[in-house]
Amino acid sequence: MKVAVIQYPGSNCDYDAIYVLRNLVGIETELIWHRNFKQSEFDAAILPGGFSYGDYLRAGAIASHSPSLSEVKEMSREGKAVLGICNGFQILVEAGILPGALLRNDCLRFVCKWVNLRVCSSRTSATRLIPEGCLLHIPIAHSEGRYVNKDNDLKKLYENDQIVFKYVNERGEEINSNPNGSLENIAGICNLDGNIVGLMPHPERASEPSINPYGSDDGLLVFESMLNYINH
Amino acid sequence: MTKTCDYIVEVIIQNKRLAKDPEGETIYRELVNKSGYDQIQNVRSGKYLRFIVNTKTPKDAKKLVQDLCNDLRIYNPVVHSLQVTARGNSQ
Amino acid sequence: MYLLLSPTNININLSKEELNQAEKMLGRKPNSVELGMIDVMWSEHCSYKSSKLVLKKLPTKGKRVVVGPGYDSGIVDLGDGDVAAFKIESHNHPSAIEPYNGAATGIGGIIRDILCTNCRPIGLLDSLRFGELKKGHNRWLFLNVVRGIADYGNCCGIPTVAGEIEFDESFESNCLINVACVGIGRKENIVLGRMENPGDHIVLLGGSTGRDGIHGVTFASKVISDESEEDRPSVQVGDPFTKKVVIEATLEALKTGYIRGLKDLGGGGLTCGLSEMSSKGGVGVEIDIDKIHVREGEMTPYEIMLSESQERMLFAIMPEGLNMILNIFEKWEIPYSVIGRVTDTCRIIVKKDGSIVVSIPPEILTDAPAIKRKSKKPGYLKEISNKDEVKNKLKDISSAIYALLKMPNIASKEFVFRQYDHEVGVRTINKPGDGDAAVLRLLGKNKAIAIKSDCNSFHSYLDPFYGHAGAVAESIRNLVAVGSEPIAIVDCCNFGNPEDPEIYWQFEKSIDGLAYMLKGLGIPCVGGNVSFYNEDDRTGTAVKPTIVVVSIGLVRNLDWITTLSFKEGGDSIIAIGRTFPEMGGSQYYLRFKGIGGRVPTTAPEKEKSSIRAVQTLIEKGCINSAHDCSKGGLAIALATMAINGGFGAGVNLDQLPKASASIDELMFSESHARFIVTSKKEDVNNIIKLCKKNDVPSAEIGEVTETDSLSFRYKKKVIAKCEVDEMKKCWEEAIPRFVSPTLK
Repeated sequence: MKVAVIQYPGSNCDYDAIYVLRNLVGIETELIWHRNFKQSEFDAAILPGGFSYGDYLRAGAIASHSPSLSEVKEMSREGKAVLGICNGFQILVEAGILPGALLRNDCLRFVCKWVNLRVCSSRTSATRLIPEGCLLHIPIAHSEGRYVNKDNDLKKLYENDQIVFKYVNERGEEINSNPNGSLENIAGICNLDGNIVGLMPHPERASEPSINPYGSDDGLLVFESMLNYINH
Repeated sequence: MTKTCDYIVEVIIQNKRLAKDPEGETIYRELVNKSGYDQIQNVRSGKYLRFIVNTKTPKDAKKLVQDLCNDLRIYNPVVHSLQVTARGNSQ
Repeated sequence: MYLLLSPTNININLSKEELNQAEKMLGRKPNSVELGMIDVMWSEHCSYKSSKLVLKKLPTKGKRVVVGPGYDSGIVDLGDGDVAAFKIESHNHPSAIEPYNGAATGIGGIIRDILCTNCRPIGLLDSLRFGELKKGHNRWLFLNVVRGIADYGNCCGIPTVAGEIEFDESFESNCLINVACVGIGRKENIVLGRMENPGDHIVLLGGSTGRDGIHGVTFASKVISDESEEDRPSVQVGDPFTKKVVIEATLEALKTGYIRGLKDLGGGGLTCGLSEMSSKGGVGVEIDIDKIHVREGEMTPYEIMLSESQERMLFAIMPEGLNMILNIFEKWEIPYSVIGRVTDTCRIIVKKDGSIVVSIPPEILTDAPAIKRKSKKPGYLKEISNKDEVKNKLKDISSAIYALLKMPNIASKEFVFRQYDHEVGVRTINKPGDGDAAVLRLLGKNKAIAIKSDCNSFHSYLDPFYGHAGAVAESIRNLVAVGSEPIAIVDCCNFGNPEDPEIYWQFEKSIDGLAYMLKGLGIPCVGGNVSFYNEDDRTGTAVKPTIVVVSIGLVRNLDWITTLSFKEGGDSIIAIGRTFPEMGGSQYYLRFKGIGGRVPTTAPEKEKSSIRAVQTLIEKGCINSAHDCSKGGLAIALATMAINGGFGAGVNLDQLPKASASIDELMFSESHARFIVTSKKEDVNNIIKLCKKNDVPSAEIGEVTETDSLSFRYKKKVIAKCEVDEMKKCWEEAIPRFVSPTLK
């Protein structure tokens, strides 16, 4: 059982993801340079957060041309689990593996804060252990996290149960909860088969009570779901 | 009374010619050059603004926008260069 | 074709005496390139010639000091082989004209200093000072400096976890942008900025060398100078992506063990890097200019040696490891050049086209003669009134509390820290605003480091000595309040023109104050930075004397980490330390036009008593929150604890340990050596006993309540009652209101 954390020039949260996977989830994890990534050697992959290529042109735009993305497309076809966190999500969207686009936050500033997420689908590789409707405390830190999509495509996302996480308030309501202007408060989505998931918030930063202002480890559920997916 | 009309004034703000342009340089080096577009020599990045200005002549429109950019600190002459072009609406 | 130019063509800043001295030391007239090198190395910025004699007064030794001042960063021992490197730097002048890139490249510079020791940078701090926010120009600086720091630090993946901001008119033409960085590593892996082994290869890594930073240079030849000043920025453009890649490549290269020495190139460029590394190691170097990767064509040796192009590092690499390391650089696709070798000649030899163009012993460059400057007590100090008088006093204390919470010097800085990724690295336990200091854990270990920056320029203007003794005291108190054991500080000195005797007096007295408190507390200073000439040319107004103190502490047990918010209704509130009527330089006087007043003074013994008491209380688990009293005094400390906890409180000043004082003095005096702590009711007696044992006065002054107001009683009367929600609104909205006037 082996997970790859794919490292791009400019990735920052790669070490954080490895730390959580190795020490808290207990799964063999390898940091792999993007040019050397061969999906056949792994059961799952994480595209970590950060500023690949400085976020130049558009966040994730340059990294999406990396050969590693053909390997990820292969994983998509084979039903392997892939999780794109923040910049990882942006790369997956730019590569066309996940639908839509991620634009600049409507407040036009970088925002680093803890938010509440509602899990909208439990069929995905990242949420199979988390009941629908469950609330998670997870932080965001981004300046280009505003999810947008065309009306027709958005409709299809709902129809196909591809909306995975939404920003909500403490009571689970979509009122005054959106930190970046995302369409319909969408924080994370998945592909048709539910094995490729992308989200803007950082579950690896919410996996231990000691660094969580709420004293919980909600983020860990995402990684444990992935482990569970791999095992089945 | 001389007639005024709407002119389009386009502003491009870039880093000065001899300054680093990390965005342009990275797009050139990591994307364009690595994708085999050998004929591309260089890429510079910048910010584009478009103003619709109602004045007597295009020259007046251009001067107005230049003054505005200085006055409101649309760009910083310490590190940026400014290109302003004015044209008629019909073009 | 380059030209060796005669000295008269180059603008140099050396005085006639310095020129003569340089000639004497070299034994001949330096050629133009050598002259340029001496000029830059003997500049104030590189040589500290006006300050080094005074700085000698600071204590630099301690049992946890691994590397003291003199290298790129100070390094302290955290036990079990863990070490922390930290450093502070200023980027005042560039930020004043181009705030975004000035601040960004400031961050870039300080990160490199930590990286050079083979420690991974894990936290950044920003200590910023601007003119008042009501003026558009100051808002422009503030917004863009914050954006520059955010964009750069976030892109590099290093969390900006703490800082401070002050607003005062003296900083209007000369904003102060001081940035600090802390990194962690292992003692056995520390690499220093020196070359020691003749035969080692010298490699230049990073951004290519261009004509950045060479100003006021006139050349006889047109060939060299056909680009006009218009095409060249006077402040360099930051490139955090390259920096991030350099960080990762450097750390990976350092893991091989083949790097003997390493230094980043900042002020003084290649000249500074080569001379400092070789003189520290007692060796020489020989480099070939033609091997250096350059950005602009036909650069002369002068330009190359003096260029200050960003994102460059200098390595001394063992011959057997060269190929392995170059492969690492190639993997990360960073340009590099192998430019020469370390030699045993004890001279810096620079060659071009096979000929020697520079031959100079490095010590001449690194040991600029110190200058003893004149000092004179400033006139303005003599004019300060002895009487205490408040000209615009508000009728009631409650209104005063709301008004002070709205002051940008006191108000919430959330607008700023929300733009900083303070979570990356999964180490941040105390996040900005949680406690008196930021706390970053060491992964996989039951320990953490606490870090904070402090200076109260309002105090130090009126009394440079006690103002700065107080800066150290406050910084150390902040470390203690979060549960750490203070280890060391670094300092960043910001003053006006040192050639003005009144400014130099401020500098001397400020360092005296720092030394006084550091020696008394047994805390060493392991590094620092000096920025002079922060004054407005036109009006001659200098910045308020500001030595920013950044202190680091070790948290030996993660259970001891303490935050400042009220925790539970029914908890007791205890004041530790005595309040004196010391209103000089207070925010209360600033707001309500107070004149005169004593500036808060303090003494090491007094601070030690308070500190020991709080440390013991935390280690014994007696208290559940702690906050030191500083700007705005007791009232604001309590207000902050209430706002952050979402609780009210009932406070009675009758029992407060105090000297005789009026009500507003009790509420708003900024006396030192004071903490407010909360605990369960049953622990109060033990707490008071323990404080007594440590020779510090303490008393229970109130109770945390589940009401929505903070009320104060004194001598049987309610003297103030503030709604927590209203206080929160004043405190949170103050700064956003200045930058977004449409905020409802």
